[in-house]
Amino acid sequence: MTMMTLLTLVLCIGILISALLATYLERRVAAVISAGLVGLFASVTYVILSAPDVAMTEAAIGSGITTVIFLFALSKTKEQPDE
Amino acid sequence: MAETILNLAVIIIMIAIGLGIYRLVRGPTVVDRVIALDLLTLIAIALITMIALVTSRFIYVDVALVYGLLSFLSVLAVARYLERGL
Repeated sequence: MTMMTLLTLVLCIGILISALLATYLERRVAAVISAGLVGLFASVTYVILSAPDVAMTEAAIGSGITTVIFLFALSKTKEQPDE
Repeated sequence: MAETILNLAVIIIMIAIGLGIYRLVRGPTVVDRVIALDLLTLIAIALITMIALVTSRFIYVDVALVYGLLSFLSVLAVARYLERGL
């Protein structure tokens, strides 16, 4: 059981690092990728907290659809040229 | 014996998560971060399956199945955005 505690700690550190990267990165595409990773780590944390239905919804919506919608919105707004 | 092997596998998966986060933080270009996203998705699928084995609740495998079906979508969207703009 202590292994699951350590794993939860690692996943929460991953959520923290991904959220900080989504805030501080300059390229907007990289920030969108980091925001998708927050949903991924949160989904695994939901599985550890024994809520598989919430994890399934988070995997479908938070990590899959949100990234596509963000990129679609970014392609509509062209104010900074991509490299 | 089996519990020792499962704990060892969870430790190896945690090391893999650390390496993927390192590539995500250090990656100089966007392509490196896309590779890190794909790698961390694959590690998450393996980790959910491992949790289903450790806790002996096999409903968790369905979550890994949904993840495996949807994991290609975000990588494909980013690749298409970098080429032509979705």
